Parts: sequence; C-alpha cells; structure tokens
Amino acid sequence: MKLTFILTFIFVQFIYFAQPAKILIIDGFLHKGNGETIDHALVGIKNGIITEIGNSLVTRFNKADWDTIISVEGKHIYPGFIAANSTLGLTEIDAVRATRDFNETGEFNPHVRSQIAFNPESKVVSTVLTNGVLVCQSTPRGGIISGSSAIMTLNGWNWEDATILADDGIHVNWPSSLQGGGWWAEPAPKKTNENYQIQKNEIDAFFELAQAYFEGHNKDKEMKFDQRLEAMIGCFKGAKRVYFHADEMQQILDIISFSSKFKLKFPVIVGGYDAHLLGKRLKDSNIPILIRRIHSLPENEDDPIDQSFKLPYLLKKEGVLFGIQNAGDMEAMNARNLPFQAGTATAYGITEEEALQSISLDVCKIIGIDKKYGSIEIGKSATLFVSEGNALEMKTNNVSLILVNGEFAPTTNFQSDLFQKYSKKLGAKKQN
Amino acid sequence: MLKKKWLALFVLLSIKLSAQVKPENGVAPSKPEYIAFIHATIYVSPSQKIEDGTLLIQGDKVISVGSKIKIPSSAVLVDCTNKVILPSFIELYSQIGLPEKITSTTKGATYWNESIHPDFDAASRFEIDNKSNENLLKMGFGIALSHYQDGIVRGSGALISLGQNDVNKQLIQSQSGLFYSFSKGSAQQTYPSSQMGSIALLRQAFYDLEDYSNSNNQDRNISLEEWKSKLSLPSFFKTDDKWEILRADKIAKEFNQTWNYIGTGKEYAWLPNHKNLNGAVIIPINFPEAYDVKDPYVARQIPLSDLKHWELAPSNPSILAKNKISFAITTAGIKQPEQFWANLRKSISRGSTVNQLLEALTTKPAAILGLSKSIGDLSPGKIASFSIFSKDPFTENGTLLSSWLLGTEKAHKVLPKIDLRGQYALTLDKKEYQFELSGSPEKLEGKITTFKTTIDSKNNTSKTDTIRQNMSVSYAENDVIIQFNLNDNYYNGSVNLHGKVYGKDGGIFEGDASLPDGRMNYFAATRTKKSKEKDEKSSILSDTSYLGEIWFPNMGFGNDTLPKSNSFVFENVTAWTNESEGILTEACVIIENGKITYVGKDKGTYPKNAIIVSGKGKHLTNGIIDEHSHIAISKGVNEAGQAITAEVSIGDVLNSDDINVYRQLAGGVTSAQLLHGSANPIGGQSALIKLKWGHTPEEMLIPNAPKFIKCALGENVKQANWGENNTSRFPQTRMGVEQVFYDGFNRAKKYQQDWENYKLKKGNKPRKDLELEVLSEILSENRFITCHSYVQSEINMFMHVADSMGIKINTFTHILEGYKVADKMKKHGAGGSTFADWWAYKFEVNDAIPYNAKMMTDQGVIVAINSDDAEMGRRLNQEAAKSIKYGGMTEEEAWKMVTMNPAKLLHLDNTLGSLKPGKDADIVLWDSNPLTTTAKVELTLIDGAVYFDQKKDELLQRRNEMERGRIISKMLQSADQGETTKSFVKKGKKHFHCDTLGEEGTESENTH
Repeated sequence: MKLTFILTFIFVQFIYFAQPAKILIIDGFLHKGNGETIDHALVGIKNGIITEIGNSLVTRFNKADWDTIISVEGKHIYPGFIAANSTLGLTEIDAVRATRDFNETGEFNPHVRSQIAFNPESKVVSTVLTNGVLVCQSTPRGGIISGSSAIMTLNGWNWEDATILADDGIHVNWPSSLQGGGWWAEPAPKKTNENYQIQKNEIDAFFELAQAYFEGHNKDKEMKFDQRLEAMIGCFKGAKRVYFHADEMQQILDIISFSSKFKLKFPVIVGGYDAHLLGKRLKDSNIPILIRRIHSLPENEDDPIDQSFKLPYLLKKEGVLFGIQNAGDMEAMNARNLPFQAGTATAYGITEEEALQSISLDVCKIIGIDKKYGSIEIGKSATLFVSEGNALEMKTNNVSLILVNGEFAPTTNFQSDLFQKYSKKLGAKKQN
Repeated sequence: MLKKKWLALFVLLSIKLSAQVKPENGVAPSKPEYIAFIHATIYVSPSQKIEDGTLLIQGDKVISVGSKIKIPSSAVLVDCTNKVILPSFIELYSQIGLPEKITSTTKGATYWNESIHPDFDAASRFEIDNKSNENLLKMGFGIALSHYQDGIVRGSGALISLGQNDVNKQLIQSQSGLFYSFSKGSAQQTYPSSQMGSIALLRQAFYDLEDYSNSNNQDRNISLEEWKSKLSLPSFFKTDDKWEILRADKIAKEFNQTWNYIGTGKEYAWLPNHKNLNGAVIIPINFPEAYDVKDPYVARQIPLSDLKHWELAPSNPSILAKNKISFAITTAGIKQPEQFWANLRKSISRGSTVNQLLEALTTKPAAILGLSKSIGDLSPGKIASFSIFSKDPFTENGTLLSSWLLGTEKAHKVLPKIDLRGQYALTLDKKEYQFELSGSPEKLEGKITTFKTTIDSKNNTSKTDTIRQNMSVSYAENDVIIQFNLNDNYYNGSVNLHGKVYGKDGGIFEGDASLPDGRMNYFAATRTKKSKEKDEKSSILSDTSYLGEIWFPNMGFGNDTLPKSNSFVFENVTAWTNESEGILTEACVIIENGKITYVGKDKGTYPKNAIIVSGKGKHLTNGIIDEHSHIAISKGVNEAGQAITAEVSIGDVLNSDDINVYRQLAGGVTSAQLLHGSANPIGGQSALIKLKWGHTPEEMLIPNAPKFIKCALGENVKQANWGENNTSRFPQTRMGVEQVFYDGFNRAKKYQQDWENYKLKKGNKPRKDLELEVLSEILSENRFITCHSYVQSEINMFMHVADSMGIKINTFTHILEGYKVADKMKKHGAGGSTFADWWAYKFEVNDAIPYNAKMMTDQGVIVAINSDDAEMGRRLNQEAAKSIKYGGMTEEEAWKMVTMNPAKLLHLDNTLGSLKPGKDADIVLWDSNPLTTTAKVELTLIDGAVYFDQKKDELLQRRNEMERGRIISKMLQSADQGETTKSFVKKGKKHFHCDTLGEEGTESENTH
C-alpha cells in the first residue's frame, strides 16, 4: 500500500512532463458519479477518454497495452467535481480591486464574457484543484444580466485550452421582491420592493427586444448587427442557458412564467432557497436548481435551523433536478470546500452517492456538459481524481492523483509547498 | 432630597400665585373668585371616584371636592351633569415647545464630548407650540416635562402647564428632571460610534464628575458644574431596545443613581423576573399595528417575535400590574388622541383597571417628579388642572369638552344643552306633518313623512303614497335650522325652517319657514314622543381570546420555561475525554448538580432520579468553545472612534435574543469569547459567555471569568481597506501600529505610578481614567490579550512590545502566518486561535495556509480553531476536522482545538474543556463521530441543563408554525374589523465580523 503510494508519487512527478496516452487505474473503489459504484474497479483511459470500466479482480488486461498502470487499492476514484456559479479564476484577493475581474459596469451585459478573463495560473485555483474540484463555471457578477459564463478546467496553461464550453449561459439577477438594506455600515430595514413589477418588466422588455432580434436574425440577412443582442441569440436557440439568480417564492413563480413566455429551452434557477415549496411546478416546467451554499444560515429568524442543510433532500423528494454550488462570501477560496458541503447534506436525507452526484453528473446536466463530463463512464473525458478516503469528508479527502482530460495534474500547490518549506525550517515536532 | 422637594413645591406654588410680571394693557381681566363644578362624576384620585359631586376651585387651586360641600355664594356654577372630571395627566417624556434640532448645545467651556451636555436647560429655549399642546390636551394631559431629546446626557427638562398662551405662564418649574440615553444623537465627533462606546463615555463622564467635585481642579467646566447641581433632580433614562434598561440600571447602581426608565413596551417579557431596578419604568402604549398579512409569501417572512409582540403588547400594562410593578405611562410614539384612548381601552380589555391606568397617568408621574403634594390628583390644595369629558373615556368613547389648566378653561367642544330627539308634529302653513329627530344630541338626523295622492283617471281610483324624506338639521344653543324637500299635493321644492327652542327639555320649537312658492310662513313643531335614552352599554368587553405564552426569549425557538439542571447518566457511549484516558468506548458518564461526577469504563454510582441516556453508537464530548465570536452583540462590535478604546466592553452590550445562540447550540457550541472588532490597535474588553438561550445577557456571562481584551494589527487597524478617504487617522502603517502600543502602555505606566504616588501621599489624586485603568490591568497581568494578527512581521513586533513591558500576549487570533514564527510564539508563551482554511480575502492573508494549525501545534503552541462568523460557528466540529486533512493531525488533537485548547487559552480549563469529574457539565451528545460532515448534535447541555434537544427542536418547529398561523389569522380578523395594518419591513441582517463598523453589520462582509 505504502509502496503503491510512493510509486504513484514518482509516476506523477514523471508523467507531469511526459503525459502517457494509455492509463489504467486498478483496484480502487469507483464512484461513477451517476449513483453507481464498483469495488476493486478498473478504469482504462486512452487519449484522454475513458475506454474501459470493469472489476479489476475479474477483468483480465494485458500490461503491455498500457503506458502506465496505477494501483489505487483501498482508495476512492471520483469524477472531477464541478464548482458551478463561481468567480473562481476571475478574482485573486477580494479586498484588492486590481485583482477583481468579475463585475463589469452596466446593467445588461450578456455580451461580456468571463472565458477570456479566466486566470488558469491563479493561486486560488491551484488550491481548489487539489481537493478534487477539477472544473468550474467561471461566472461574472453584477448588473441585471451580468454576462456570459464559461466552463473551464482548473488545469489549463491558458484560457483557451482550459475551456470546456465557452459562453455556456447568461446570468440574470432577478429583482428581489423585498428591497432596501442601505449600505453596509448603516443598513436600512428591508421592505416590500415597490418597484418589483417595474424591474421585472425591464427584463421582460429586454428579452422582447432580444427575441425580436433573434427572429429577425433568422429571416432578415440585412439586419443591423447588435453586439449585445447577438449574445442573446443562443438563449432562444437553446445553445445557451439562462441562469436566473433567485431565492424567493415570488421570484421563482415569476421566473417559471417568464421562461415559458419566452419558450426558453434551458432555464436554470441559481439559489432557490424557497424552491422546495414549489417543487411540483418546477418539476413540471423542467427547471433545475443550482442550490445555494449548503453552509449558510437560514434566511429568516424562524426558519428551521437546518433549512440550508436539508434543501437537497427536500428537492430530491419533489423530483426536482438539482446541483450544489457555493456562491457567497469568499466563494473563490471556499470552492475547495464544495465536497464538504455535499457531505453535510448527506446527514440530512440524501445518500453519499446522491451527494457527490449533485456536484458532478447532475451539475453537468444542468450546465450542459454531461455528454463528456460529470461521471466516470465509457466515452467520457478522463477528468477524475483519486482520494485516500471519502472525498466528501474533511478527514479523508486527500487527493493523490488527478487527471484532467486524461492529463495528470499536480496534487500539490503553493500552500503545501510552504508547508514543506517551513516544516523543514522549524524542524521536528516538539513536545507539548 | 426631601428639602429639594419642598423647595420645588414652594417654587411651584409661589410662581403661580405671584403677581404678573408683564404689565396689563388696561384694567386687569375680571375673574370669578370661586368656580364650582357641580353634579359631576369626579375621579379625585386613582382610588377615589365621586358620583354627583362638586369640585370647588379658587384661582389655580382646588379648595374642596366631595358630594356635599359648601359652595360660597360668590361661586360661578358650572353644571357637569352626566360629565366626568379627570385630573390632568402628566407626560414625562416630551420635547414639546423645543426645536427638533438645536444646532449647537455646547459652546464655551463645556465637556469635551458633545453628546454630554447636562448644561442644556429646556426652560431657556422653549416656545409655545400650539399644535403639540392641543394634541396632548385632547388626550387629557395638562402637564408635560419637556426636554431636548438628543445626546447621552441631555440636560434638564422644564415642567410645563399646557394650554397657556404665554411662555411665562406655561413654565411651571424650570429644572424638573435630568435626562440620559445611550444615543449619541447629533454630536459631530466620531466617538462614540457604538453603544458600548456610549456606555464607557457615560461612565467616564460620571468619574470625571466625581473628580471635578472632589478635587481642586483648576479647570472650569460648565457642563460638569451644571451636572453637579442637577444630579439631585428626578432623572430619566430613555431606552431604545429591550435590554437597555438593564444596561442602564447597571450604571445607575455603579454611581448610586436613581433613574426612571422610559421603556420600549416589551417589559412584560422580562421585567417581572428582574424587579430590583434603581427606579421606576415609564412605558409607552403605542402598541404595534398589525401587519398586512394577506399575501402568504410575505406573511411567512415576518419574524414570530414581531407577531408575538403584536399580540402581547396591549397586555404590557396589565402584566406589569399583575406582577405588582408600578409604572407611569408616556404617549411617546402616539400621534392621534383617538389612538391614545383606544389603546388605553384596549389595555383595559386585557385586564388593566382604570385605577392602575389613572395612577400611571397622574399620581405615579407626580411621585416620580417629587411633586405629589401639588399635582397628580384633585384633592384640596392641588393645582386646578383637570379635564371634563362627556362620558368616562376609560370605558366609553367620551369626548373631551374642556381642559381646565391652573384654573383657566380651554374649551374644546360645546355639547347642546337640550336633547331634541323625538317625534314631532309639525304645523306648517296650516298643514300637518310628522317628523322624527334621531342620531345623537350633537349630531341630529331628521326624517319627515309626507303623503302624495295620485288619481288614476282610467279606473278613477286614487292612491296615496307615503314618502319619507331626509331632513338636514343643525342645532346650536337654542336655534334649530332644518331644510328638507317637499313633493306632495301642496308643494314641490325646498322648505327651510328656523326655529327657537322653548321649554326646559325642548318639546316645542317655533319660528318661520320659507316655502317653495317664495312665501315666509309661521311654523310650530311639538314633540309628541321623546326618544328613549338609548342605554349605550358600551362598557369594555374583556378580551377573552387566547393569548400566546411568553417564551424565553419571546421569539421562534424560545423556551416555554427556562431549562433546569438534571442528573444524567450516559451509558455505553464513546466518550472523548480530552484527558489522558483519550477516547473511551462503551463508557459511562454521570452528571449531577451541573457538574460531571464520573467518567469511566465501569458503571459509576447512579444519582437518584437521573435521566438515563443510551449512548450506543453515539459520541459524547465537551461543548465546543468558540474562542472568537461576534454573535449576541447589540449595536456595534467596533468602537472605531479612537485608536485605543480599552474602556469599552462587549459585556455591556450583550443581546441574548440572537437566534444564532440557538443555532450554535445546535452545532454543539456551549461557550464563546465575544470579542470586540479589529478596527483599532487596542479595542474593547471581551465577554466570556455560556450560550444559555432564554436567559438575560447578564446571566449568560460566565461568573468570575478571567478578563480579556482585544488588540489588533495589520490592514484593519491601519484602515487599509476603508477607501481612499481614510488616510489620516494614526496609524496608517505597521510602523505606526507599534508606536500606538508603546504610547498606550507608557501612558498606563505613568498612570500606575501616579496612583502609587498618591497612595504614598507623594502626589495629587490622579483623574480616574477608564482606558488607562484597563491598560494598567494588562500591564499587571490581570487582563489577557487576544490579538488579531496575520503576518509574521507584526506578530514578532507585538511579542517584542510585550516582552519590553514584561507581559505576555496570551493569544494571537487569526494568526494565519503563525507557522512562520511558531517557534518564537512558543518561546514567548503565546497561543494561537486560527481559521482552519480561510485565505485570499485580503492581501495580508496571501501566505495563509491550512496547515498552520498543525504546524503551530507541532511547535508546542496551544492552538484553537475559531469561527469569527455566525455560520461557521455552528460547524466548528467540521472546521477542526480539516487539520486532519491538512497536515495529518490526530483526531484527538483536532478535537481539542475546539474544546480543551480554547478552554486553556481562555484560562477556563479548570472548569471546562474535558470530561473530568468536577468540571462543568457542558456536554454534547453526537449521533456519530463529531469530526465528520455527517455528525449531528442530539443533545447540548450547559451546567447539566438541556439547552438543545434535536427531538424537541422538531416539536418547536411545529409549535412555531402553529403559533404563526394562529396569530396571522388573528391579524386578518382584526383587519376585517377595521384595524389599520402596515406593510412588512424586513430587518437587515446583523452578523458582525471583526471589522464591521457602526451599529449594524451585514452578511455581505468579507474581510476579517
């Protein structure tokens, strides 16, 4: 066991520079990400694609067929986790303005694209990757339509080769039916938003405009080019998702009608604090939810104290498709805790496999990359990792091997480097 | 004091009886010598009510009152048959006649902080304000104590007789009360910026006052001089939230003051359990309006605490009375006189008696003012200030007819002398009609009956229709004017009558009528039948609807009763002892009298009546101790007004009604250090609490806990992230931070020396300085430092400062680069309380690594994992587990970082931190290993009492919902019955972090 680890370590060091094309991983406990598991699994990868899955105790293989064979006995194999709706790659130090690249000025910015601002060399990104979060939906913030997000791997040399899907969707910040709050040092009480209907109509009007442009674009070749509306075409075609950021019942109901009015192909609700109260309507309208941060306090004083913890269970019970995301305070840095948020939900009514599905395959379904990502199945991209134990637990999430699109990625980062450096300086453990 | 009261009485009477100062224009007005109010119902005092009595006044004084008294022949008689006389009410909390804002109250040699202006004297600034006068008069008030409602020490108020048209007549007595509050008001200085700052400032000012009075200080100070002279006045303290009375009372006791507290209307929820206040309470009766709850999406967001308060607020007076707490009433917050009376009647329907309310409006305020001898009731010798109502306003909708103020009438309404209602026969132009007058005597409604005969020419039959027409009637003095339309066989058009009333009861009126054909004609109307006096049995129905119980605290998840300590035996449990025994499986843990009495593999001695809990498959640990928390704090976590604010204390501003207390109990937290924020190098003192949900702030404090103070270094202190405008306060660099500490500690050393010299009689008595007192405590190691810190340079620097002062830094908190200097920390003797994995939120945390806790631990530093965040505070078990992942800590070591180690850092490890006989029974039962993401708390005990029970929590959720449903349907009913409603206002969230400035925080804060 120990030997395997050392071997693996050496392998990784070596292959990081000379990537092998044919990799066989054997003897691990496989979590496919679709709910299924295999003990003593065998996973074969050729040219970045998963080509074989089986049981290593019964499946015969020819060593010569593989560039490298890695035994991960006693360890767990997971599909790479996905941090949906995150500013990861767009920010470095929250308090330093020069490092913030996620909030463009303007109200309707569907044409603003996060893909090209994504920094694959971000130190924050490197610390997220090493906990098993291998992909993110790098998402802009601000305004009414913040911009277009992009789906990126966390192991790229530049944004081009990190891109899995450019401009996957636009992000709409639905107005709140409650308003106010003042500024942070002098918050005013919130009250019913009297301009709610007006603000809602602004979005409606913008979509009317965009829809007209889309219709015209189909028929009228002479039509004047509009950079902003051009970015909306995909939403009507179905090439782009529309992410509605909303939590309240009132908002969610209005979004359901809005989506059906504009015949949106892929509407998604991000947040969805109240979504469990509207389960049937969401299911019938086929609108999935990217649930807000599990590790968050209840919205209202009297809400059940575990409301945020059990939202996945409540949505599962209603049959609504959901994924877990982590937007909020310090979200970029905190993306490395995404697995533990899913883990917490397992104490409140969903199984371990369902929990990891909610940060892998189900998220991929929602953001539209499930054909190639999100689970360990034949034909899919080899974007996966090996953990010493249960990756949803702090105690045992210890990632010893990472593959992104079939390429080995580092399992260390500058933080573990500093750990090594200063441990050496401080010397041996002292007695208390 | 007694002398003062007599003096006041003398001043009061002499002012009013003395000669006019202003010369009369012509001959002085003629006035009757005596006035007798006869046949009246008189509330002489709350305990004495006379029917058909007489009140005799002379000038501005009551001469006698009773049912059979001698009326001098020169007396003018005022008939008050059926009318009710009430002594004028006294308003103690008012700003009547004073401007809304007074630009500067402090000029000249005044106190350094503008919010302390005891020198302000309302009598010197007030003017006649007819509108406010009128409003108070209409509620039945005759006397008001008016002061300038701004600042912490607000100055003196003036006692005013309402309704006078001359300021000299209006002023009864100039300095009649001294006013305080915690609210800084319009003062321009940055200090204080928080409530704890206000408290410290007020205390310092009191010490300055003592110092000024006792020493031969050469500096003159008008504020202190005036304050000194006003200290013996009746004093009032205005509070703005539930716990402020207790906060103020602590100060009152410290400085031997008697303060009367203007409350919030929520006293019913706590005051019955805390009766020993240094003063009376004055309660508002502006009961909250119902919310508009028609929209269920909105209704579900209204906090249950607000709903419950809406329901119970009208019971505040009766609950206080039932608990034998006497109180005065203020109209503060009430705009309409009708609302005032409606609310009084509402409180009667909830069990208040007229006696109690009248006392609260008259004799109680008079007693508070020390003027019981001259005002407050209508016994002989008292001032002649009273109100005459058409009916008893306490029980019926009585109209105020006139206010008599110091013997002078201010009339509001004249009622008709005669009740004209009845059926009449009208002779008009020799034709007979019938009409009826109904409605009320003041507002008559008329209906006339006429006939019209039509002949059908075909059948040659005739038909007579009876037509009833409305008449418009006006009546004043003894003139009646009636208009109606006639359409009968004689006239078609308008008829107008003007008649004079004759007879004692009316009965007949006659005069002239103008007819549709233009002629004037005589008419006479004779009453054929008098209306039966409608017996308006409108005495108040008592409200017998179910009222919710008062919970502790009175909000969602509140306790029905306060948790009590029990004996427990946990059998077959996995016990994390934090002692040399390590983690014991299938162990037995026994709790008795709030302490742990046994921990072991065998069965201990079971106490009588112990609750036996099977711990099979479960884990038992100590309660989590959060070394760095900002929950349960009111009105500001930072006093950011100055670089050193050691004088302020978080313990002064605890708020035990924070729902996060309950939420954290559910996460296994039992104790916490509530720290001041990190906006300045030396912040305020900490509070060490147990999370005793339902108790008062004081009761949450750990008794005899060691003292702590917050210090801070780095970006927050140097205002690095506060924007481009904050670049002038010292320090702006880490270099400056060092100097602030040297300066503070050197000043404290000198202060200690000065006191030392004074004790040795080698010098004058130094001024007592709260800031330097606390800094001295640090120097003499009676107070420990918890220091907010990030980078190695500043950590190193601060240890050097401490070494040079001969002290130790107890704890570095955050300490994210602790791993770089862990060896130096160990050598110095400092502990570290850190985040498990936070970083990237500002520049100084760029080198923060999650291996930090493990690396410091390995060097022998005592390390805790803390939250600094209300959300993380309830998952500290998970945060501890991260050190197993980052650096490979053992489970035992990791667990100690949220239990034993913070207990050590807080010097509470004698009583907390491990499962050891003799220690406090602060215990958590987990359903699985607490270091897993799936672990849930089943039970949380503090001192052997259950404060969280997972099973009970489910019941509480259901109970909350039922209570919400019940009150909401009650609100909807009250709206149906015509009560006004208001729309819901959702309160901003108040989650404090280290660098939250101002009195409130928001959730979007992301720097720490």
